[in-house]
Amino acid sequence: MFFHIVLERNMQLHPRHFGRNLRDNLVSKLMKDVEGTCSGKHGFVVAITGIENVGKGLIRDGTGFVTFPVKYQCVVFRPFKGEILEAVVTMVNKMGFFAEAGPVQIFVSNHLIPDDMEFQSGDMPNYTTSDGSIKIQKDSEVRLKIIGTRVDATEIFCIGTIKDDFLGVINDPTA
Amino acid sequence: MSIEPFNRLVKLAARAFYDDYTTKGDNQQKIGRSDNRGMAVVILDALTRRQWVREEDLAKDLKIHTKQLRRTLRFFEEEKLVTRDHRKETAKGAKLYTAAVAATTEVHHGKEGDDKVKLHTHSYCCLDYAQIYDVVRYRLQRMRKKLRDESEGKNTIQEYVCPNCGRRYNALDALRLVSMEDEFFHCENCNGELVAESDKLSVPEGGDADDNARRRRREKIKDMLQKMDTQLKPLIEQLNLVKDIPIPEFGNLLAWEARASAAGRAGNGSNSNDPSKSSQGYGGVPLLYLGETKVEVAFSGVDGKEEDAKSVSAGVGLKVLPPWMIKQGMNLTEEQRGEVKQESKMDGSSSSGFSDDKKTVSEDDEKKSLQDEYARAYYAAILEQQAALEAANKQQEVLETSDLNGPYESSPQRQVGMKFKREDNEGDDDVDWEEAPLGGESSNWVFVLAKKTVALSVLVLSEKEVPLLASNETSESYRVHDLNEEAKATPEDEDDDIDWEEG
Repeated sequence: MFFHIVLERNMQLHPRHFGRNLRDNLVSKLMKDVEGTCSGKHGFVVAITGIENVGKGLIRDGTGFVTFPVKYQCVVFRPFKGEILEAVVTMVNKMGFFAEAGPVQIFVSNHLIPDDMEFQSGDMPNYTTSDGSIKIQKDSEVRLKIIGTRVDATEIFCIGTIKDDFLGVINDPTA
Repeated sequence: MSIEPFNRLVKLAARAFYDDYTTKGDNQQKIGRSDNRGMAVVILDALTRRQWVREEDLAKDLKIHTKQLRRTLRFFEEEKLVTRDHRKETAKGAKLYTAAVAATTEVHHGKEGDDKVKLHTHSYCCLDYAQIYDVVRYRLQRMRKKLRDESEGKNTIQEYVCPNCGRRYNALDALRLVSMEDEFFHCENCNGELVAESDKLSVPEGGDADDNARRRRREKIKDMLQKMDTQLKPLIEQLNLVKDIPIPEFGNLLAWEARASAAGRAGNGSNSNDPSKSSQGYGGVPLLYLGETKVEVAFSGVDGKEEDAKSVSAGVGLKVLPPWMIKQGMNLTEEQRGEVKQESKMDGSSSSGFSDDKKTVSEDDEKKSLQDEYARAYYAAILEQQAALEAANKQQEVLETSDLNGPYESSPQRQVGMKFKREDNEGDDDVDWEEAPLGGESSNWVFVLAKKTVALSVLVLSEKEVPLLASNETSESYRVHDLNEEAKATPEDEDDDIDWEEG
């Protein structure tokens, strides 16, 4: 799920960036550092939408670096258990398939794939129904439900299922 | 003693969950005789009746092998039902304080330096009620969750097991397990192929996509859920009853021992050997179990051990005091003087008399002193009338002494019996006999009732001059136990042609 929240970070700036464009430099540095990262607590930071305020800079002892506490607004993405997402299949395996929903990777084990879908290996391994009507292969779009998340310090990983109603393939690239 | 609902909870839980626990391995044969399933229930039940108990003692009580017991207790410890404490102690007979000290200070000294002091590790165990309550609830919750998950079409996280090293993985670990070469997950240690763990409760029917199969599975699970609810209903009810009651807490082994020994010591005032006697490390507790002639005082620190308070039973009876132990003024009963106990009836009546006395000791004291003087004068008169009116006097004395003695109705009868043997000095015997019981009323209580300080004061105050054993000589059965007793110089004595015997 997406959230728009205010986060805070201490940015260190090298003296070479001081001058007229100090603030701009600070903001661009912030964006470079933060966008695309993930924190276990907030989730993935998708984009920074604005700077709320920049505090007074503190000159570090020994080096000339200056630390600014910056408050900024950003869009974050965090998956939750029980959430339903659309994802794109990236890899199909005998044990299940991997899908990506933006920055987060989701694994659906074969145990949670409907019983009527069998694995078929080949150069394009896929899961397919007995009558061949539904196929899950690389790059198919799939709607799945998250049943578990694993949150590390800088990484989030999910387990999903397509065994419930209204879940499964949405869009088949080959069809 | 722990509160009854908790014990009931433990018993129900034991029978619900552990009744098929066996100490034999899975491969061993369980023949009829050697099959010990249900051992766990027996042990848990035994533990509900005890608090902190040494494992060897428990094994002895239950008549099972120490090793089996230990295995079971280890299992319980893992299940969080029981807390155990292992500590080094000197062998049997060690004093509690040594044990406590040794446990807290350097044990090396004892072990290496001193030959005689060998420190063995003793293990103690006790039921942990707080944990039991939580553990049982958690177990029930997990059971229900599992069944619900299964019935809801498996929104469960897949588990993988490595057949080589047995390492378990979760589907959440899948990312780091995926291998490039082939399509299986590989173990991190041994690179073996992981096997998915199949459905535990409802057996999957081989990829059967039939709706029927699924429905059957769901029904099976619903059945299981229902059965579980009905069979576990008493346990769940007991849990609800118990949740509002404060949990009995025995504390850590040392704290409990300290409390128990303090309580024991308070209950048995003169018995200062409690800690050393308790080779079992219970302090005064084993005495509680014997429940004999001890008065249990409700000590402030102790929880509820002294509920069965103040019942003094003279069941065991009092020790016969050797002559050298008897000092002047000691209030002794005939028993303590080593006299024969005639009939149980007598004892019964005297003991019942005793228990009445307990409450009215203080009042009786005054009466006694008056009675003593009265008796003395009376007996003096009797002596004069020995020869002629023995029989009649005796009866009168009996009556009067019975009045005087109050509770001691039995004693005159006794004396009557004894006096019948001799015709000579029955009157004399009376004199001495009466003194003893009157004086000796509260002696027993001194040793048993620490609480009754009144009794103590009585002992101190009652330094009456026990009138001489003027007539000791006569009855062979009569012995002088009080060496301090002096013969009264009465004129009548000189006239006696009885030989005085100082015992």
